[in-house]
Amino acid sequence: MKLACVIHRFGADIAGGSEGHCRLVAEHLAAEHDVTVVTTCAKDHITWRNHYPAGETRLGPLRVLRFPVARERHLHRFMDLSDLVFADRASAEEQELWFHENGPDAPDLIEHLRLHGSEYDRVLFWSYRYFDTYFGLPLVADRAVLVPTAEEDPLIHVDDLRRFFALPKGFLFLTAEEQTLVAARAPSGRPSAVIGCGLDPAPSATDLARLDDLQLADPFVLYLGRIDPNKGCGALIRHFLRYADLGRRVQLVMAGPASMTIPDHPLVRSLGFVDDAVRDALLTRARVLVMPSPFESLSMVLLEAWNRGLPALVNARCKVLRGQVERANGGLYYGNSAEFASALDYLLDHPDQARQLGRQGLAYIDREYRWPIVMEKVERLLAATDPTCSPPDVGVSF
Amino acid sequence: MADSNIRVDAVMGEIERDVRARLRRHLVKKGGAADYQDEAIFDAVHAVLARAVDGRNLDATLLPELLDSDVEWRLETHLKLSTHRPAVGRFILFAKRRLLLPITRWLFEYSQENFRRQDHLNRVLFACIEELALENARLRRALTGSSRATAHHEEPKKHEGHEETSY
Repeated sequence: MKLACVIHRFGADIAGGSEGHCRLVAEHLAAEHDVTVVTTCAKDHITWRNHYPAGETRLGPLRVLRFPVARERHLHRFMDLSDLVFADRASAEEQELWFHENGPDAPDLIEHLRLHGSEYDRVLFWSYRYFDTYFGLPLVADRAVLVPTAEEDPLIHVDDLRRFFALPKGFLFLTAEEQTLVAARAPSGRPSAVIGCGLDPAPSATDLARLDDLQLADPFVLYLGRIDPNKGCGALIRHFLRYADLGRRVQLVMAGPASMTIPDHPLVRSLGFVDDAVRDALLTRARVLVMPSPFESLSMVLLEAWNRGLPALVNARCKVLRGQVERANGGLYYGNSAEFASALDYLLDHPDQARQLGRQGLAYIDREYRWPIVMEKVERLLAATDPTCSPPDVGVSF
Repeated sequence: MADSNIRVDAVMGEIERDVRARLRRHLVKKGGAADYQDEAIFDAVHAVLARAVDGRNLDATLLPELLDSDVEWRLETHLKLSTHRPAVGRFILFAKRRLLLPITRWLFEYSQENFRRQDHLNRVLFACIEELALENARLRRALTGSSRATAHHEEPKKHEGHEETSY
């Protein structure tokens, strides 16, 4: 099949989230199909400033088509509009304007889909919240597969999404919770599959010496990812400092680029961005992975931790994280400071049980998230979304 | 393996029970509601409030709908600059937008953040009130149902009694 993967930004040096998911799935699809990534020249997800040259390039097995961003995001205007839309007080025009302001505003990308969309057998779109998906998908709806990466944030309640979610031919979801969230806003009968993301088995040998220079305490609990209030890091630090005040001598190690102030405290260690080798070593040496995000459609870091047999402690208010932990039996969760402290105490004071929770997480990864299992589901969905056939007759619908 | 198949729900059940017990003792010690001496009452109150905080969609509660017609209850967390002066208004707006706002942006953002928190808290309180009203409605219905059932059971007895006395 000739496939297009549409994503708001793309590059080997762009980490995380839907961009990383798109890259991994596209690379695995390229083993069987002719895959073109349709994207913008942006690298920065805040401003959408043009960074990569426009035009065609190749990245491994992938053909990459980049289109320029016409204007950078006006942050204050976007935030003001967000307040209006999220408070459910926006008109239909203002709701549509929100997707325009969110960007990346790449009219040439939309024009490419208008002119050449029908040349692809399927067009896969990642993240419903961005300009390229919101305005591009309707142009190729008969062959569109949406990977919504929806979270239970205020945007999902926007009225206009009922119209939008009725458009794609099929859906690929990251978790069962995301499927439930979108199914409540989409017509029934559309083919869909919960795929999560594939992982290869973790390397058996890890270079722990990479941690020597970092002078980390033992034991430590690990937060891995963007250090940002929207990721629940403010609450995590508050919970942890209260926990430390109780006299526990455990260190919180935070590895990732920071967009907030991290308190200067002997038991809180911020490492900034770390490379893959340090990341592997941290996941191997940590006692627990902490995942405080209140909104997630899938936590790749959580899956990576389980891939190494590391138990997790997650925010119970995030249905996706709690659902993952319960299905995997791979860790504990907390809803407030007191539960955070008790759950962390349990994981640190019962090392055998904590290790067993980690092993159960690994067994869950083996059952659900190995690449052959994931790609089989994707292939079945692609077969079920043939634009020449309607309505689909597959056993993977909502 | 001795520790195989650890059930997260079982461990969490134990942790949550322990946290609730400590919280109750803490509140009693600090002079909280005397009824909290009774563990069952505390657990019932905890369950109702936790349901409101964790289980409710804060964007779909009844009280804001009832308030909406005559009270502007929502906090304005976004700033709208406008003018009623037709001629000089454009210059005033320009000055506000380009000069005044950038200078006071830090203060604006500080206030905006606090308004957002207050807005969230208001919605949580609406959910709590609604959960209490729901609990009340459910209990009333259960009470009405049980008094009807009692009346239904008692009626034949009265009838029986009447027949007895009539013989």
